[in-house]
Amino acid sequence: MLVHKAYPLHPAIWVLLPVHIELLVIGWIVQFTMGTAYWILPRYLKGSSRGNTKLARSMVFLLNVGIVVVIADRFTDSSLPLAVIGRLLEVSAVALFVGMHWKRVVTYNK
Amino acid sequence: MPRITRAFIKTGMGFFLVSLLLGIAVEIESLSLPVLMPLFWHTLMVGWITQIIFGVSMWMFPGRNKEEGFRAQLWGWLTYIFLNAGLVLRLVAEPMLPYSELAFWNVLVLSSAVLQVTGGITYLIEMWPRIMSKEQRRRKRKKKRNKQ
Repeated sequence: MLVHKAYPLHPAIWVLLPVHIELLVIGWIVQFTMGTAYWILPRYLKGSSRGNTKLARSMVFLLNVGIVVVIADRFTDSSLPLAVIGRLLEVSAVALFVGMHWKRVVTYNK
Repeated sequence: MPRITRAFIKTGMGFFLVSLLLGIAVEIESLSLPVLMPLFWHTLMVGWITQIIFGVSMWMFPGRNKEEGFRAQLWGWLTYIFLNAGLVLRLVAEPMLPYSELAFWNVLVLSSAVLQVTGGITYLIEMWPRIMSKEQRRRKRKKKRNKQ
């Protein structure tokens, strides 16, 4: 799109703008912060140190499927409200994230 | 904190200030040119947020080469140069496109896009092998020791 501003390629290129935003904001920045928080926040002293691994995998799965579904909405004429479904998947991933990390926002120093 | 991380964070802070100034300009009717909006978002999201992500990840992720210098941290410094050169070129050239017929500005904008993408690729080259579990790190170290 930046190249298109200098050397027009095709007017339809602007269809990619929401995809560009979705991939970079949710796919890159949000996903990176979630992944790094999962790695770096204080771990549990008992049991599985970062909590339920299956839930963590589901979080990654839901977020990425959500991104793909939101993007698919821009390119398909589906009768399904894909953007809403995608956003709901992303919200479920974030809800899982909050649930899994709430008790890890803690200090073990007195 | 390694030098490259300091460079990323301090440059990022510069872009953060620039982005907020652009944000003010966008809100003032007499200054609000349409070309400023993409610059505001890109200086904020790439110049600040992405830049601190790059800097901090190069510092905190496992497998860091603790030796300082351009050669020792080649891909990191190339990322820094490409990303920031690309951003500065965009900042300078993009606002000129609607107002100037000179092909020079178009070349600068094209170079900016190429530089930023190249910065992303060099970041991937640096970081991809460093994203690993403790077990993978142990195996890697063991392999290295066996080789010596």
